[in-house]
Amino acid sequence: MTWTIIILLAVGVASLRLLGMYGGTALVRRVPMFERLGSLIPAAVVSAVIAQLTFASGKSLTIDARSAGVAVAAVLIWRRAPIIVVILAAAATTALLRL
Amino acid sequence: MSGTSTSARPEWGTLIGIGLTFFAIGVTVNVLVYEHVGSAVKTIAAAGIVLSATSELAYVAVRDVGGSVLAALIAGWVVASRFGLLAASLGTRIQVGHLQRSCAALNCLDPNVGVAMQQATPKGVITAFWWVTGALHLGWWCGTFTGVFLGNIIGDANRLGLDAVFPALLLAIIANLLRQKPGLIAALVGGGLCAALLPIAPAGTPIILSLTGAVVALKVPEPKAALS
Repeated sequence: MTWTIIILLAVGVASLRLLGMYGGTALVRRVPMFERLGSLIPAAVVSAVIAQLTFASGKSLTIDARSAGVAVAAVLIWRRAPIIVVILAAAATTALLRL
Repeated sequence: MSGTSTSARPEWGTLIGIGLTFFAIGVTVNVLVYEHVGSAVKTIAAAGIVLSATSELAYVAVRDVGGSVLAALIAGWVVASRFGLLAASLGTRIQVGHLQRSCAALNCLDPNVGVAMQQATPKGVITAFWWVTGALHLGWWCGTFTGVFLGNIIGDANRLGLDAVFPALLLAIIANLLRQKPGLIAALVGGGLCAALLPIAPAGTPIILSLTGAVVALKVPEPKAALS
């Protein structure tokens, strides 16, 4: 990874963020339906990230120790456990299953 | 679970959890990036100016399997396009000047937007956003330096189960959204679609297409509390 690549990657990522903040927000404000859509985007997009981080192994899907850790976290979240407990339990479960 | 108090500052437990998670991400990601880049300065610079662990990982992953520089860059950008969607979402809820708005855009990540969007007022949204941003930066930078300079001592960070920490944190952050039907539908459709497309779609595109979940959820009536 050269300096040019780092800068290109950074400029691209920053541009997408600024485009969303200015272009995306303007669009959402002009079309009333998009306003509600905007409030639903975090749930849809973050869930997709969770699915990818939990089940993806390269280009395939897998259920492994990491998935079990996230499943334990899900139960604790459902039981309204504090976030620290949730993430420590997820890590501990995953690590123990990998012993 | 978003852990918000009446002052809009998230609870300390939430902030510490987010900080610890980003420490773990900082370590795991930057051990990998440092192995690929071979330079501590470049690894730390990339961590700071790209500010997207998934973009860096996408770039490294494509290059490691023999992909071209352009393909790797595109993968990094596509993966980061979700931050544009999150920024658009955040942008509708904040009332700040251009400087702060631009700074907020450049710091848009999953946890800070996720927590901020659950606040009731524009002031609460931006306050929660910056508190979470501070916590995740602290964790990210400590993790980055640890990964770069102590990575060889730590070894395989996934052995410690750190790869389960970020999805667990994100799930905790959006838990409140999942307790309402529209949010739950958006999450199930978005997450399910992403999982289904992962094996067949180019890197990053399943996350973009997860936007479909939000579109489908538009058909679900809003909860009465949200309408009033």
